[in-house]
Amino acid sequence: MSNNLEFVRNFCIIAHIDHGKSTLSDRLLEDTGTIASRDMAEQVLDRMELEREKGITIKAKAVRMLYSPAEGGRTYTLNLIDTPGHVDFGYEVSHALSACEGALLVVDATQGIEAQTLANLYLAMEHDLDIIPVLNKLDLPSADPEGVSAEIEELLGVSPGDILRVSAKDGTGVDALLTAIVEQIRPPVGDSDEPLRALVFDSHYDSYKGVVAYVRVVDGSIAGEAPLQIMSTGRKVEPLELGIFGPDLRPVESLSAGDVGYVATGLKNVRDCRVGDTLTGWQRAATEPLAGFDPPKPMVYAGLYPVENDDYEDLRDALEKLQLNDASLVYEPESSVALNLGFRCGFLGLLHMEIVQERLEREYELDLLATAPSVEYEVELTSGDTISVDNPAELPDMSYISEIREPWMQISLFAPKDYIGPLMELATSHRGGFDKMEFLDASRVVLYFDIPLSEILVNFHDQLKSCSRGYASMDYRFTGYRAGDLVKMTILVNEEPVDALSVIVHRESAYAKGSLLVRRLKDVIPPHLFPVPIQAAVGGKVLARATVKVVRKDVLAKCYGGDVTRKRKLLEKQKEGRRRLKKVGKVELPQEAFMTVLRLND
Amino acid sequence: MSTLSSGARAGLYIHVPFCVAKCPYCDFSSYSGIEALYAPYVEALLQHIASAGPEWPGPGFDTLYVGGGTPTVLSADRLADVLSACKSGLGLPHDAEITCEANPGMVTGASLAILAESGFNRLSLGAQSLDSGVLRTLGRIHDPEAVYGAFRAAREAGFANIGLDLMYGIPWQTLEVWRDTLHRAVSLDPEHLSLYALTLEEGTPMAESVWSGVLPEPDEDHVADMYALAQAVLADAGYVQYEVSNWARRCAGDTPGAPPRLASRHNLHYWHNDRYLGIGSAAHSFDGRSRFARCTDPKEYVRRVHNGESTREFCEQIDESLEMDETLMLGLRLMSGVTWARFQERFSIDLRSVYPQALAGLSAAGMIEVDAEGVRMAPGAYLIGNRVFAEFLR
Ligand SMILES: Nc1nc2c(ncn2[C@@H]2O[C@H](COP(=O)(O)OP(=O)(O)O)[C@@H](O)[C@H]2O)c(=O)[nH]1
Ligand code: SF4
Ligand SMILES: [Mg+2]
Repeated sequence: MSNNLEFVRNFCIIAHIDHGKSTLSDRLLEDTGTIASRDMAEQVLDRMELEREKGITIKAKAVRMLYSPAEGGRTYTLNLIDTPGHVDFGYEVSHALSACEGALLVVDATQGIEAQTLANLYLAMEHDLDIIPVLNKLDLPSADPEGVSAEIEELLGVSPGDILRVSAKDGTGVDALLTAIVEQIRPPVGDSDEPLRALVFDSHYDSYKGVVAYVRVVDGSIAGEAPLQIMSTGRKVEPLELGIFGPDLRPVESLSAGDVGYVATGLKNVRDCRVGDTLTGWQRAATEPLAGFDPPKPMVYAGLYPVENDDYEDLRDALEKLQLNDASLVYEPESSVALNLGFRCGFLGLLHMEIVQERLEREYELDLLATAPSVEYEVELTSGDTISVDNPAELPDMSYISEIREPWMQISLFAPKDYIGPLMELATSHRGGFDKMEFLDASRVVLYFDIPLSEILVNFHDQLKSCSRGYASMDYRFTGYRAGDLVKMTILVNEEPVDALSVIVHRESAYAKGSLLVRRLKDVIPPHLFPVPIQAAVGGKVLARATVKVVRKDVLAKCYGGDVTRKRKLLEKQKEGRRRLKKVGKVELPQEAFMTVLRLND
Repeated sequence: MSTLSSGARAGLYIHVPFCVAKCPYCDFSSYSGIEALYAPYVEALLQHIASAGPEWPGPGFDTLYVGGGTPTVLSADRLADVLSACKSGLGLPHDAEITCEANPGMVTGASLAILAESGFNRLSLGAQSLDSGVLRTLGRIHDPEAVYGAFRAAREAGFANIGLDLMYGIPWQTLEVWRDTLHRAVSLDPEHLSLYALTLEEGTPMAESVWSGVLPEPDEDHVADMYALAQAVLADAGYVQYEVSNWARRCAGDTPGAPPRLASRHNLHYWHNDRYLGIGSAAHSFDGRSRFARCTDPKEYVRRVHNGESTREFCEQIDESLEMDETLMLGLRLMSGVTWARFQERFSIDLRSVYPQALAGLSAAGMIEVDAEGVRMAPGAYLIGNRVFAEFLR
């Protein structure tokens, strides 16, 4: 495809979650006739079943639209790159931005600026994008366009007249928005005669076409099946197909500077063509690659184990396949005394972990057990060596340790000022240190805290929502490792330590957490034929204990007469239920036992 | 194919699916308010009994159990007709154990006399409790006085073998109330006692009330205490426990290691995994090769019998390996357990070679006793029998 760059616009939409990004994308697709209204499934870009269900966008996706303004008669090619709104997927946003010259900053007029509005806006500014501020949900009676405009003016230094007002729901203002996209976002620059340089900003895996790389062509052009090479590895690629996003993959003959499209590489391994790589020509190669991306670093680690030991190989295959579409997922084999063979997986955040687990269970029909998520600790040994530990069970004995360092974050909490008190309390009760407060406008503030990642890993987000009646939003960024008075708490079930239940906790909260944990475990472990003691210990000293009661009655003590089949079915069902328990020594542990650690911060 | 021991006879069961009012905890196949169906239903039973002989490949019957529902909603004359049909149509001998279930408050001296005279020689009285509060919780329509009255009347009518059914683990039932009921029951000196724990069945009003918090959920430990109490009280009073939920009065001819003479011979057929024929709606049968059930709707049952159609609705083939499993699942409910000899005779294989792991594991855990005669549950395991039985289901 060869075109006059003057008539191309590459842009994305950035917004806090639920501010209407997907809905607005749908309207743009509809208004430009890219998808006929009658074919319009809601939120066309949210293709994955899970995305629709959770109402969030997980991966960036792209679509090409053709737009002819009423006057002028020229047709513009608009490439819209959809971006995820959740912090866990911030790295995906960054990739998408690299393929664009402009961004629509969508703000819900009933909510105002929130954590990811800002986080994404800063990313867009770093990429030097032309930003069009858009107020959405004007149709709602609770919309406060004046107030929210004031917040945006303050933030961007624009005049109120430059802020567009739309309703993505009913389509009001979308025409004006299309005009603004053409007028305010600069066309891409690039030289089609230079050697090819195309940035891979996303990819997916297709069993026929191999890795399908989503590219933004910066210089030169890709034509037909002429061989390409991946600059980081020098690997040769013989493209099977080139195309654009319509939004379905639509083959074209060529892609040239300024275009956004895809290249079906035929490569069977995503590692051979990573997001952030530069594609160049095989015959005529560029000398310098484009600036790539740092691979995202996992923030959270957890063990994933098949409930049925026999499913281990299937889990391995599933992880491998999933990784083809989700390069941010890392994993390696791990074994646990309690849970046998599984994988230690690294995730970008808890939502990412939840999504991966759900996809494995749903798309690959696996029954999984996840251990409590952990951060990665830096452990300095008395020998002088430093090791990193992302599985509490693997923490060496304290006598070999001189220092444990944990990851700290800066979090920013956005909320109406009425909630300053509860938010302060929430953060400080999680070892957070108050840093500063800024006013967004007369009624809304941003609070900054330094806080250990482990403290905000689980439940923090829920607590944040509940102590602010849903008004607060949060963003976080990693600031560095700091030493802490941390200890390993071992859980013994029937006198035996269960590695998968170990946790690293702050010494001060060890007693409280230990008591809570044993009480919770006592409630979820079913009665056995013998008493099952549960203990929480730190350094060999038992801090808390509880005992699971003995099963006393488990028999059919009813008259079933001749209905022997029913009797047997009842027994078989019971037996099947017990088969799903994990046997640790003589004790049978249900899945919930491993999840209790998750709820420790409640 | 296994060979049931040559001496084994079969049981005959007749179902009467009617009750005066439905009890809130009951999920048995019984209906109230369809009195108009009584006469056609009995007609259908008589017709079915008369024609059942040729399709029954099993051995002759030595027990008859007329259960329900509440058989005594039917007049004693009709029940007598059913019994004589069994004798003439299915060759039920006079010395068979012939039981009728009866609900207190629904029988009179006169009706009991007719039953006894027509050949019923055992009465199973659904007392459930001898405490008026508990009976109210259970939604039963009789009071304790009705139980005493029915019991006396049955003795006077000549019943020398009477069983009482009692229930425990009922919301609000205390140990004291239970002890009192047990004492009152043994003071009547019945030949047999069946004690059943209340089982909350999905879909019953009682279960809904408990799960919605209107009634307190009976606590498992409390129920276990009630069971232990019953074991002690009944042992003291001269009763032998021969099955998880059943006791019989000790008598002179009892052989140690075998069920007592006053045990329910009909129910022993079930626990010995013998064959039995069920007639009437929802009745279950086992002919040695398959288990099958009759259609549950009484009206449909009547229609099918009338039209000469099959009344079978569900059928499960029992292969030899399943039959072995069921033999243990059922046999271990008996305190006498399963003997090596009986198993060997039936299946021509040594039980120990079929279930080596289950036997080793359970005896190591102290849940079964294994000796030269056979295998049986350890006394401490009666209340957790499911854990034992399940090990023998392959
Ligand atoms: N009333 C109204 N609702 C909207 C509008 N735009 C989006 N929504 C609703 O807001 C919710 C979040 O929208 P969505 O597009 O999924 O947000 P995203 O998370 O930013 O992609 C959905 O329930 C939409 O139907 C709008 O203009 N008006
Ligand atoms: S009398 Fe017996 S069969 Fe009838 S409803 Fe009550 S418990 Fe059920
Ligand atoms: Mg969305």
